[in-house]
Amino acid sequence: MSLIEIDNLSVTFRAKGREVRAVEAVSLTVAARESYGLVGESGSGKSTILRAICGLAPISGGSIRIGGVPVATPRGRAFAARVQMVFQDPYASLHPRHTIDRTLSEPLAIHGLSGSDARVVKALEDVGLPAAFRFRFPHQLSGGQRQRVAIARALMLEPEILLLDEPTSALDASVQAEVLNLLDRLRDERGLTFLMVSHDLAVIDHMTDRVLVMQNGRAVEELTRAALAGARMTTDYARSLFDASADRMLDPAKEAP
Amino acid sequence: MTALRAWLTDPSPSSRRQARLGQLWLAWLRIRRNSLAMAGLAIVSILVLVAAFAPLIAPHDPLVQDLSRRLLPPGTPGNWLGTDDFGRDILSRIIHGARITLYIIGLVALTAPVLGLLIGTVAGYFGGWVDAVLMRLTDIFLAFPRLILALALVAVLGPGIENAVLAIALTAWPPYARVARAETLTVRNSDYIAAVRLQGAGSARIIAGHIVPMCLSSVIIRVTLDMAGVILIAAGLGFLGLGVQPPLPEWGLMISSGRKFLFEQWWVATMPGLAIFIVSLGFNLLGDGLRDVLDPRSAPK
Repeated sequence: MSLIEIDNLSVTFRAKGREVRAVEAVSLTVAARESYGLVGESGSGKSTILRAICGLAPISGGSIRIGGVPVATPRGRAFAARVQMVFQDPYASLHPRHTIDRTLSEPLAIHGLSGSDARVVKALEDVGLPAAFRFRFPHQLSGGQRQRVAIARALMLEPEILLLDEPTSALDASVQAEVLNLLDRLRDERGLTFLMVSHDLAVIDHMTDRVLVMQNGRAVEELTRAALAGARMTTDYARSLFDASADRMLDPAKEAP
Repeated sequence: MTALRAWLTDPSPSSRRQARLGQLWLAWLRIRRNSLAMAGLAIVSILVLVAAFAPLIAPHDPLVQDLSRRLLPPGTPGNWLGTDDFGRDILSRIIHGARITLYIIGLVALTAPVLGLLIGTVAGYFGGWVDAVLMRLTDIFLAFPRLILALALVAVLGPGIENAVLAIALTAWPPYARVARAETLTVRNSDYIAAVRLQGAGSARIIAGHIVPMCLSSVIIRVTLDMAGVILIAAGLGFLGLGVQPPLPEWGLMISSGRKFLFEQWWVATMPGLAIFIVSLGFNLLGDGLRDVLDPRSAPK
């Protein structure tokens, strides 16, 4: 059975009498421990799908099931313990007035979990940050370090599913590779299920088993990693997207070291 | 001492308590470097000390009248700031008045901003009809002139220091609510709020732990800037017989009683006016320095 089942999902934003259909009738399933990618250009609705799963975007049609059970509205703590998200911009996703320690211990406090001292130290260690960073503020950290903190925060509740909203697009190339490798390692160690959004096919190819190409809020084509690597796509749009980043994908030296 | 300093400035603290004390120490170092803020802190500390030890410092009883020594000019031996129209020593009255002033300021500073923060953040965070109701309520309070509303409240509640404080607090909160709401609107849709909501946090936790800290610095600046106005409103209420009652030595009351002799015996109104001026200045300077300290992003590299 699939862990994430999204069936005919539609998201419509309404503002001042205008309707924007951000996502239209998209279906996808992700098996446990699978890594699934959503790819498309800006405004194709890929991030909106992640936000709809989290209850941050209004669902106007279709259903989302996690582990066979439809998600509750509002999402609640049980959902939080299973599904967590890493945001795109590490400069905006950490509270500027909270120390790293506060940021990481907050989820434990919300869920009434004990032993937060030891867990915070362990979490920093797991994402490769020195324990000395624990009482620093986000503005004292670099972008890559902040994104590591954001990943550590998402993992504090030991979720099964990690939603990744372009986790590396705000970082420069060398740091990107480090963060992607970190995510890869954590997935191996913890048996996580990834649902990852990116506009970069090279990143998607490196990270995911299957990928859904999206355009203008609709699903265009689903590809396995083998099909992607072999350039066996059937739609023109997927091919043009592939051509745009093919040179980087086929050269392993430019991938993560 | 050096061991303590090393412990406080340790770049990798080993416990939360050490980290918090270390941050306080760094904040203290930052405010100490700001000479204007230190001047403000000195003025406010002197106010607190004078208020605490008023009976020991004051040369005379502030309430004892001596009509043979009325309206003496400043510099008279025994009455260095002169005497008022009942022959009471102005210096002693100012010193004892510091207690009343501090009491009023303290109570207003504790109540009005808290109420304003609560209403503003709740309105901004929930939006929709909650926002509409709370903000129209704020508009109604803002539309009244502050002094008139305070007057109406005191007239209903009866004169006295406590009621004056209550009236001032009830009229002072709307600007704080406005500031807090504006700040809340800028942060409510940010990723870090979404992240903590995604962790299952309730609205109360998000507002108190994540939104209020973002509003605090602008509210604190407003509080310190408003302190002068608070002293003056308390004085205005006293002047109209609705606040602090004579013969208590409240500074505003002293100014209004000196108004009658402003041209011939200027010192009767000027001396308490100077006291209000200096204390207001102290609060403004301190507030400015506090803002720099409260915002960790503005810390020098």
